Amino acid sequence: MDNLFKAEWFKLKKDRSLWTLIIILTAVSLSYPLLIVFDEGAGAIKVMDFYRNTILEGNNYVIRLVPCILAGFFISSEYSIGTMKSIAASGNSRVRLYFAKLIVYSIGAILISLIFPIIFTGAVSVSLQFNGMPGIGYFAGTIGLTILYTIAFASMMALFATIFTDSGKAIGFMLIFFIIFDSILYLLSGVSPVFETIFNYSVFKLFLDIVNLDTVHGAEMIKLILTPVVTFVAFGILGSILFHKKEIK
Amino acid sequence: MSDYVLKTSNLTKQFKNQVALNKVNLSIKKGSIYGFIGQNGAGKSTFIRIVTGLASPTTGSIELFGQSNGQELIKARKRIGTIIEGPALYPHMTAAENLEAHRLLKGIPGNECVERTLAIVGLQDTGKKKAKNFSLGMKQRLGIGIALLGDPEFLILDEPINGLDPMGVVEIRELLKKLNQEYGMTILISSHILSELHLLATHYGIIHKGNLLEQLTVDELNAKCQQFLHIKVNNPEKAATIIETMLSTNNFEVMPDGCIKLFDYVDTPGKVSSILVNEGLVIEQLMPIGQDLESYFMNRIGGIHRG
Repeated sequence: MDNLFKAEWFKLKKDRSLWTLIIILTAVSLSYPLLIVFDEGAGAIKVMDFYRNTILEGNNYVIRLVPCILAGFFISSEYSIGTMKSIAASGNSRVRLYFAKLIVYSIGAILISLIFPIIFTGAVSVSLQFNGMPGIGYFAGTIGLTILYTIAFASMMALFATIFTDSGKAIGFMLIFFIIFDSILYLLSGVSPVFETIFNYSVFKLFLDIVNLDTVHGAEMIKLILTPVVTFVAFGILGSILFHKKEIK
Repeated sequence: MSDYVLKTSNLTKQFKNQVALNKVNLSIKKGSIYGFIGQNGAGKSTFIRIVTGLASPTTGSIELFGQSNGQELIKARKRIGTIIEGPALYPHMTAAENLEAHRLLKGIPGNECVERTLAIVGLQDTGKKKAKNFSLGMKQRLGIGIALLGDPEFLILDEPINGLDPMGVVEIRELLKKLNQEYGMTILISSHILSELHLLATHYGIIHKGNLLEQLTVDELNAKCQQFLHIKVNNPEKAATIIETMLSTNNFEVMPDGCIKLFDYVDTPGKVSSILVNEGLVIEQLMPIGQDLESYFMNRIGGIHRG
């Protein structure tokens, strides 16, 4: 398994879509704080408020949309350029191949999803002269949950990228799916209690609570932590079964 | 220890209503170069895809290095190198990076094999040039290089000389011969360029519409390569009628240039000439000729219109 991780990690490091996304998000993270300072002045806003209302809220879109692009290029394109054939014929079990791909892809998605919470926050903190910084516990907690929800969404994206073996189709479908699916699920939850339960326990609803970490306790906290873990494992197993049965063309 | 690298038993693959492979029993001896011949859509790639684990058979079984079950069969695939339906390359990587990615995938320790393989396939001077900017021939070479990584015991090459210039074809042929003769590597090679395959293969398998029609050694092929009489006369139409009526055979072919290939009476050309002359025809040429692999293949699959 070690060699599979090394191979996937080597390819991830060479993936231009990953570096393009990282550069764009980093550029936004570094330039946006300057606009605030010019617009409203350094002393007008607390870093904590900005972190909650702008960075984490904005990162909700990053978590569930931006890794779709990486999934298209890092996973689906392996099928369209034919390299999946040599991977599948390499004498490794399909399950191991899938999980190596999923885990390394998830690391890529985590790198993307942590740019706003870390680099954006760092840049804003400097720009706002460290006025009203978030507590370390809250900050670390939101980073941890961001990682968990990122891998949960990444697990779903890896499944879709395996189904759609063309990067363009995969990215197009996933962007539409992850933009509208939570709304569909929300509408359905008003129609049937079954869908209401699904929605309440889905990552599509719970990831919006990352920002409210300081007000969540007890069973709700366990739900907030366990749901993305279960989602990652469930979709990982589902994806590996699909990949195991898939005929590579 | 089995003498065979690969054996299939009643291998069948069905897609809805179409049978892509029909009870194929194919065996490849250790140390042989097996030429796999068939038209487009004959089932060659489907067969190779099943052997390499990209697709599963509907029924039947595969024995690779004596292994036919689950995990053991998967592990046995570590001992093969493949090019399936064209070279599989990462276009944004250089030749060395492509080899490195596959080296890591195969778990080959030490990266000295990358430079060695680049030299073997003649790509050591490509430097930072990305694979997407390679010519078709260079891509084929790199594909072969990837297949050679880890010194596999069994090479499966699907159309490996497509796109190569004449020099490249000769180099790859010599390389494959060297790998076979010096390292004992068994090679399964499918190609449409039958003349090239004839210079390389020691064994042949002919597949047509999913059915393995025949397996034979190069000696058997040479013995079987049917002879024919090459006849050139002043009136081919009349000659065709005479052959049909007076020689009682329709086992002949009238070529576009008017020449006739007569596959019977090869041992008695005198009889043929005397009948044609007696019927008033002028014979410009009449000589026995042996078939090449291409003609044999076409005859075997019934691709030539006779009579």
